[in-house]
Amino acid sequence: MNPTSVAEQAVGRTAVARPAKSHQSRRGWVGYALIAPFFVLFAAFGAYPLFFALQLSFTDWRGSGTLHWIGFSNYTYLLTSSEFWASLGNSGVMWLLIVPVQTIGAVAVAAMLSRSNLRFTKSLRTVMILPYVTPLAAMAQAFILLFDTNFGVTNYLLNLVGVGPIGWLTTTLWSKPTIALFALWKSSGFALIIMLAAVQQIPEEVYEAAAIDGANRLRTFFSITVPLVERSVAFFLVVSTLGISQLFLEPYVLTKGGPYTSSTTSGLYLYNHIGASDLGTGAANSFLLVILVLILSLVSVKLLRPED
Amino acid sequence: MTGDTTIPSSAHSLFTRRRLLNGLAMAGGLGIASPLLSACVPGGSSGGDQKLGPSPSASAASGTVTLWMRDDDLFKVFKTVIPAFNRKYPNVKVNMVGVDVDTKLPATLISGTGVPDGSFYEDNNIGAQAGHLYDLTDLMAPHKSDTLQFKLDVATYDNKLVAVPWDTDPGMLYYRKSVLSDAGIDPKTLTTYDALLNAARKIKQKNPKARPILLEQDANLGMLWLMMLINQQQGSGLVDEKGGLTIDTPAFRKALTWIKTVADEQLGARSKFASTGQIAQCDSGIVSLVPWAIWFSFITQSGVKTSKGDWRVTLLPAWSAGGARSGVMGGSSFVIPQKAKNPELAWLFYEFAIYAREGYTKVYGPNNTYPNGLNTSLPSVKAALQGAPLFKPVAALGNQDLWSVDTAAAQAIPAGYRIPSWFNSAASYLGVNMQKMIDGKASVDEVISTSVDQINKNLVKRQR
Repeated sequence: MNPTSVAEQAVGRTAVARPAKSHQSRRGWVGYALIAPFFVLFAAFGAYPLFFALQLSFTDWRGSGTLHWIGFSNYTYLLTSSEFWASLGNSGVMWLLIVPVQTIGAVAVAAMLSRSNLRFTKSLRTVMILPYVTPLAAMAQAFILLFDTNFGVTNYLLNLVGVGPIGWLTTTLWSKPTIALFALWKSSGFALIIMLAAVQQIPEEVYEAAAIDGANRLRTFFSITVPLVERSVAFFLVVSTLGISQLFLEPYVLTKGGPYTSSTTSGLYLYNHIGASDLGTGAANSFLLVILVLILSLVSVKLLRPED
Repeated sequence: MTGDTTIPSSAHSLFTRRRLLNGLAMAGGLGIASPLLSACVPGGSSGGDQKLGPSPSASAASGTVTLWMRDDDLFKVFKTVIPAFNRKYPNVKVNMVGVDVDTKLPATLISGTGVPDGSFYEDNNIGAQAGHLYDLTDLMAPHKSDTLQFKLDVATYDNKLVAVPWDTDPGMLYYRKSVLSDAGIDPKTLTTYDALLNAARKIKQKNPKARPILLEQDANLGMLWLMMLINQQQGSGLVDEKGGLTIDTPAFRKALTWIKTVADEQLGARSKFASTGQIAQCDSGIVSLVPWAIWFSFITQSGVKTSKGDWRVTLLPAWSAGGARSGVMGGSSFVIPQKAKNPELAWLFYEFAIYAREGYTKVYGPNNTYPNGLNTSLPSVKAALQGAPLFKPVAALGNQDLWSVDTAAAQAIPAGYRIPSWFNSAASYLGVNMQKMIDGKASVDEVISTSVDQINKNLVKRQR
């Protein structure tokens, strides 16, 4: 069939199937009117702030007066600043402390809750998801009391076995692991929700076949569960990398980035610029983070893309 | 009909959609481009020299004024001023709103949306927003001589007075009466910082577990505390009148050396202000000497439990014989944004609340919120400080004559204190370096030289 005849056929179908031109045009505009609110809102609250922030990153604007174009000064300042790299390093350490444990743990617990003969699995599931829906500030206060150097329950218990006292939130060695523990406690419920959904989608027949082949539980976990939740793991890695790059509330509430600047994450470092009305540097910092997270996410997806 | 004629017809909707999307893109592009072209910021204040004009008379003043207050007990206290204000200005409706000012005000000033007519603001934060605020120099002229000089200095940027000074937070020395008595120390002898060190040594000899002097663990608050010790010696703080850094000066060296001695000899206990740990240190007698701002009085009244009633207060020691017996640690003022709708009415309220006896008596005198009066800060008005006591003695501080001690300290604060716009950010350098020194990881010289380098590079040189 040549192109012309295809076009003619299409025209024929159109002529029959389509209503009158004016009616169709009116319907088209109704459609555009219906989607217009989204575009307007997106332009106002999505696109405009994004481009304005990009514009700001090339200025030394501090919230008042006119914008002064300063080229790439903010970017070169940050890229040559030891504090910027230190904050990235702190975020990197947080990633290492949180994400691998959380990912592997979530898959294992999800498999356990879905497939084991444990009793009270529904209650267990609720208990594990509970911290995720509890207000962070309230939990942080409880955490501060638990990990207080002099009067915390943790050090009290360690003292009973002759250990400590440990400055959980007041020493450079322990501040990051303690914040990581808090973040794990707080956000593991989210990881569990994702992994539960993934594990529950694995067909039962696959497990039955594995059982017939004589695979034990450990083998079943590593040879069936883990490979079949790879897509979810990749998704979770991207999401958690994004989350870690913006990690702010946990260090802010627990240590304010200290002691010294040992727990100042990239999110908190960015906030410090904004808080000091150094909006240009803050904006530049955020775009550098976007680039970094984009690269890391692409690498994560590439590495974990399942083979069909 | 041929294919050529039908393609536009079948693509009609596509063409329209594209046109619509193009239109949207153009609109978006224009939205983005317009501020680029004008090099102006939507909602932003001009940052120029805007003076607030003469205020209307009591009979002519009318309208609604929206004032932001920090959303705590102060909000309740300032609301009690409104009826008295309305007796003088019956046609002004005061809409006082409790707000998280530190978080909301900068964003509001920058966006230019929902800007209040006036707002409470911490002195440390004013400089960063000075470009958004009215120059009140002319309006304040009649009150200048009745205001503590250091408060005027604090609120002055580029020779413009951009805030109405409100409270004064002088440094005081809080101590545990029983602990000093047991160690055979007469509080009246604590007139120099060397005497304070010796007292701490004596207390430690008596109780080896004691670390009598309180050292702040938070870098920001620690730096504010250091500023009190500096201002007490040289009037200025981090910068002089011309904005030059004053860190590499004898005053800094002396204060830092003293702090290092306290740390090295294990005479100091570190904790964060008002934390559970700090309360326990105070109650257990580990801490018994607290050179701190007047607002430590809150801890002695509402924080401590077993040591309540054992605390007393006196003037800070001096750094040298005959030197000042106080310095500034904190304080706040009221600001009037250039984008305010009724700035004149805001001025009238602040003028009444701060400078009229009826106004400041309502704030500091006994009320439902503070039955003995507000005693965690003081007015900055000389007439108030030199007048009859506004607040009463409290049992938690042994019913001593708080008013006399506190007001003497307030009036001893040296003039010349300046707060640079980047003050809060300096805590990441000077505050952090001081904490390192207390941990034994830096010398006094290192704190000074490193802080000077870091503040110059990251803050001073990055100001326009």
